[in-house]
Amino acid sequence: MSLLELRNVSKIYGELKALDNVSIHVDQGEWVAIMGPSGSGKSTMMNIIGCMDKPTSGQVLLDGVDIARESSKRLTDIRRDKIGLIFQQFHMVSYLTAVENVMVSQYYHSMPDEKEALEALERVGLRERARHLPSQLSGGEQQRVCVARALINHPELILADEPTGNLDEANENIVLDLFAQLHREGTTLIVVTHDPEVADAAQRTIVLEHGKLLKEVVNEHFGE
Amino acid sequence: MTKRRMFLRMITASLLRRRSRMLIALLSIGIGATILAGLVTIYVDVPRQMGAQFRSYGANMLILPDGDSALTPDSLQTALAAIPADELVGAASYRYVRLDMTSRQQSFTAAGTDFEQITKTSPYFSVEGSYPSATREVLVGKEIADTIGVKTGSTMTLTWQPAQGAAEKSPEESRTPGAVLSGSAEGFGGGLVYVAAQLDSETRIASLTVDASTQTPEYGGLLAEDEAFLAQFTGKTLPLTLGEGIDAFSGATVTSAAVVDALNRAVSAGEQAQVKTVNFLVAGILTTGGEEEGYLFISLEDMAIMTGSDALDVAELSVSAGAEQLQAYADSISEQGGVQARLVKRVTRSEAAVLTKLQSLVFLVTAVVLLLTMICVSTTMMAVVSERRREIGLRKALGASDGSIRAEFLGEGLFLGALGGVLGAVLGFVFAQVVSVNVFGSSITFQPLLLPIAVIVSMAVSAVSCLMPIKRAVAIDPALVLKGE
Ligand SMILES: Nc1ncnc2c1ncn2[C@@H]1O[C@H](COP(=O)(O)OP(=O)(O)OP(=O)(O)O)[C@@H](O)[C@H]1O
Ligand SMILES: [Mg+2]
Repeated sequence: MSLLELRNVSKIYGELKALDNVSIHVDQGEWVAIMGPSGSGKSTMMNIIGCMDKPTSGQVLLDGVDIARESSKRLTDIRRDKIGLIFQQFHMVSYLTAVENVMVSQYYHSMPDEKEALEALERVGLRERARHLPSQLSGGEQQRVCVARALINHPELILADEPTGNLDEANENIVLDLFAQLHREGTTLIVVTHDPEVADAAQRTIVLEHGKLLKEVVNEHFGE
Repeated sequence: MTKRRMFLRMITASLLRRRSRMLIALLSIGIGATILAGLVTIYVDVPRQMGAQFRSYGANMLILPDGDSALTPDSLQTALAAIPADELVGAASYRYVRLDMTSRQQSFTAAGTDFEQITKTSPYFSVEGSYPSATREVLVGKEIADTIGVKTGSTMTLTWQPAQGAAEKSPEESRTPGAVLSGSAEGFGGGLVYVAAQLDSETRIASLTVDASTQTPEYGGLLAEDEAFLAQFTGKTLPLTLGEGIDAFSGATVTSAAVVDALNRAVSAGEQAQVKTVNFLVAGILTTGGEEEGYLFISLEDMAIMTGSDALDVAELSVSAGAEQLQAYADSISEQGGVQARLVKRVTRSEAAVLTKLQSLVFLVTAVVLLLTMICVSTTMMAVVSERRREIGLRKALGASDGSIRAEFLGEGLFLGALGGVLGAVLGFVFAQVVSVNVFGSSITFQPLLLPIAVIVSMAVSAVSCLMPIKRAVAIDPALVLKGE
């Protein structure tokens, strides 16, 4: 069953076609990697899927709803309810502790629940760092907090733009393990990466170039 | 945890953990609130402050005789009862007569008055030397002093000539209860001895004042100060004979006889108000910059001795009250009858005008400070918003609606406003106190209402100041968090 479907999506900035007539689909529970050289339109695509931007033309069906036609207020609601975001620059609220940062996500979604937030941090192995401010955490730890924050509201879809771009090998593996766990639990994952190893962890890799869909590669070794 | 608690936790964390930034915003609100609270305190307190201040510019009410009835110390006292003691700064009564200085063949207007009251009703009087503190001392207006060349310590011989007609009082009149009889007779060595006797309700002598300064100081001179001698006269009916109920002062028979003689003459001459000449010691020279410099001032006692009457011409009152209250006092005094009270319109009007001007000035400054505070807070919050662009973008990416972003910034603004308001109320009071002490020379009491007012006003000010920054914050694009900014 398809969770997400892009039909002939284009995003044009003046002369520049950041996305040029791209059509892809992602099934429910699927783990997809997106690769491509710098400037190929990966982040542009993530912004559109993440309900933070609208395509110039084409349809974006998320759970059967064409989000390209929704008002920005509705887009905020959809993003809050269905999507968890992870960024390359960890992006935490600098003056809130790790657990408070997780709770911010709960706060906008429904109800802040400190116990649940602490459990989420437990899951990313940071239970004992819960009361630390971002400045007191390493990059890898911050990204793990961001993963905890993305999964706290049990989103259907997790979008990660270069989640391991700023991490060392060890932290990269921790994050990938967390993704694998989420995948096993049925969460759909779309991960933008430059790193073939990260792409290898996914079931399928979509490659973009100059805003066009270059190829799709199915990972036959998935799960090995 | 409820949403509200999380909301408060985020706001307080933002303020407490980003201290240096927020301190600047807090400071601008706090300083604004301080000046506002201070100015409001002064604004409210100005009428009271200035009321006391204005009183140093002279009397603002006059009490005058009404029709035929004379103004006397008694009728004045009755009139003053209409004004609360704490509002009556002073009441100086005056009696004006012409006194001659025969040695120079000149005459001057002399005012009999109460010097202690003058210092209250006319604090701007500047005296070189001192105010007269004993009888037979005179305060000379600068103008007169310059013309006749007297200085502090000089002597002036002044003569009172009863006006033609006024001297023709009948003996009966001199027997009216409460009248003051005065007269003189030659004493030892030809010097004049002056007497003034206050009659009681049955025309007996109630009190006696004697001026024997022309007599030998060790003998006759002592008599005027001798209470036992003077007490003999109390309760006696004139005329008297020395030796019959009145014993001569030892060593001064001639002077004693002169006292009795003067009293008898005073009554038999039908209080033919007599020409009286008294030597005055110049106690001080008066500078006022006004017409008072052309007057001589003597005590009311001396005036009564010289003229034989304690009638008054006018009393100048200094009352610490607003124009309306003042009019009310004047009306109630006039209604009592006997005397009439009038406001010194020139003074009361200019007081009201100055007050209005001062208050509108303070009001204007307050408005300007309010505006400056808003600009300052707005600028600071604007800087805060651009500094927190990424955070705001992140919050929106996490699903914050425009409403939540608005609520969070407004919440921070209001919190800062409340904090700044408390700070301002406290510091503002200190500020007002300092201004009050330095400018008006008096302290003010803390108005408890100031605290809630300062808090509400500064919350409102910071809420208004946050409108533009909030608009900016809401416009921030959540997509920027995905870009490598
Ligand atoms: N707001 C914008 N206005 C104009 N051009 C834009 C805008 N956003 C992106 N672009 C352009 O669109 C193209 C695709 O950008 P995008 O950020 O999607 O690349 P990317 O694949 O994520 O690259 P990278 O791997 O470096 O992150 C780029 O050429 C970029 O300059
Ligand atoms: Mg990118």
